Amino acid sequence: MTTSFDIRLARGSVLTGKWKKGQYRVERLLGEGANGKVYLVEHLGRHYALKIGGDAVDLQSEINVLQSLAVQKKGAEPFLIAVDDFRHQDGKEYPFYVMRYVKGSNLNEFLHREGADWFPLIGFHLLGRLAALHEAGWAFGDLKQENVMVGEFGRVELVDYGGVTAAGKSVRQFTEIYDRGYWNGGTRTAEGSYDLFSFAVLCIQQFEGKRLLQLTQTLLPQNRNIEELLKLAAASPTLKPFNGWLDQALKGGFSSAREGAAAWQRLMYGPGVRMRRQKGSGWVKGLFTASMVVLAATVVWMFAEGVIPDGLW
Amino acid sequence: MRQILLITDGCSNVGMSPVVAAAHARSEGITVNVVGVLDNNEEASMAGREEIADIARAGGGLSRIVHERQLSQTVQLMTRKTVVTTIQQAVNRELKQVFGADAIEELPPEKRGQVVRVIDDLGETSDLKVALLIDASASMKPKLAAVEEAIRDLMLSLQARSGRSEIAVFHFPHSSSGDDCMCDLDWTDNLTGMRSIIPKLQMRGTTPTGPALMQVIDFYGKGGYGRTTRRETDGISGDYVV
Repeated sequence: MTTSFDIRLARGSVLTGKWKKGQYRVERLLGEGANGKVYLVEHLGRHYALKIGGDAVDLQSEINVLQSLAVQKKGAEPFLIAVDDFRHQDGKEYPFYVMRYVKGSNLNEFLHREGADWFPLIGFHLLGRLAALHEAGWAFGDLKQENVMVGEFGRVELVDYGGVTAAGKSVRQFTEIYDRGYWNGGTRTAEGSYDLFSFAVLCIQQFEGKRLLQLTQTLLPQNRNIEELLKLAAASPTLKPFNGWLDQALKGGFSSAREGAAAWQRLMYGPGVRMRRQKGSGWVKGLFTASMVVLAATVVWMFAEGVIPDGLW
Repeated sequence: MRQILLITDGCSNVGMSPVVAAAHARSEGITVNVVGVLDNNEEASMAGREEIADIARAGGGLSRIVHERQLSQTVQLMTRKTVVTTIQQAVNRELKQVFGADAIEELPPEKRGQVVRVIDDLGETSDLKVALLIDASASMKPKLAAVEEAIRDLMLSLQARSGRSEIAVFHFPHSSSGDDCMCDLDWTDNLTGMRSIIPKLQMRGTTPTGPALMQVIDFYGKGGYGRTTRRETDGISGDYVV
């Protein structure tokens, strides 16, 4: 809502920073957050993600978070590359920042394409990301499918830092169905347990999304509660091994995301996770059948050609 | 910081212009935000749209027209945004003295960080009062459940702030003649245990938006909060932005 802002950058157009004069060639739109739009750009022969916003204060809040994270993670590849303003041909100036480009797809797309087998590992990686953020003194706030990018081999990056809030303050930005307050499950204070609650809803949204949506449309506000969420979780075969974990996360039972991640990891290698092979497993059976057919054909051919002496058979 | 949030679904039709009333509020240091609420398949009339935008402009606030199901989120976002804007305006006045810049946007990016940290911090810690003024004319009746939900949701968000945060709730028209609006809930920071906020009403056809706004401004004045709040705001910006 804060963006009464509709700037569109054409493919191939070049942005020049007002202060630092850096040049960025626009390739395409990557996504849209509450505070602005993110474009894929090329700068000095490399790809970056550029976020441009309508409100300098909102955008600067995000930049402050990213800068504080960068200070704490010295030695790692820098995430924030440049901060500048851009004067559009409409005469207005728009603030922007340039960050590392994370190649990947959002959680939902990834799981649909690569299969739900990836889910436990991605969940674990995501919990690790949240734990690192919490340990630096922040909560993510607006955790949702669209804000989780998954790259090769289930690597996870959080994107859109618009909701990131200093621990103990009120969450800056959230999305209703992932919000602890919306489900009458607790406060809107930025803390580890707030993100873990959203993480649990994210799991349910991923595998029981339709029923979750239905629930939000039919339940009266005063009847929204954690038990309703747990009922949905119990109905999903993929989430079954994690039901106890979700219960704990929704009720604020973990002291930190780190502890939650450790508990998740134990479940990941426990019963019920690796046994379940449904959709993705078809190809193994298919491959086996195919190889049997090939073998049989080979044997027949060998006989016909006399490759195998009769005595051997 | 003081705000009035007007929730309505149509045009005023009795008494003084609500635009004038909103300008009064602004001169008293009260920001007026307006939400036009439609039921889920309704369209806003052009006249209604214009009035809503005009009231907010005169009151120095924001206006939005939304469907019922977006009401909670809109109310919450608007209140937050207005807090930030109010502080930003105070900070901009200081910027002129400190950096010789008229607005944050004029500062080079390296210098913005510090200023925005101060804005974020003040937005979280300064005291806030929001008076909700609910249009309870006949056409609003089916929407009042959504309005109540939005009020509760707003309280939940405000409770997470570090600063003192209170709301009061009014509806108009008053069911018996005399006053233009009726106070349903005096300043409070807690709604737990409260069954219903807006009482079951005898709906009447008139919509005295302007007079009702004036009465809420009056209520702010009577509470004796006016001066304190204003002094605090000035003090805050002076203390921190150096």
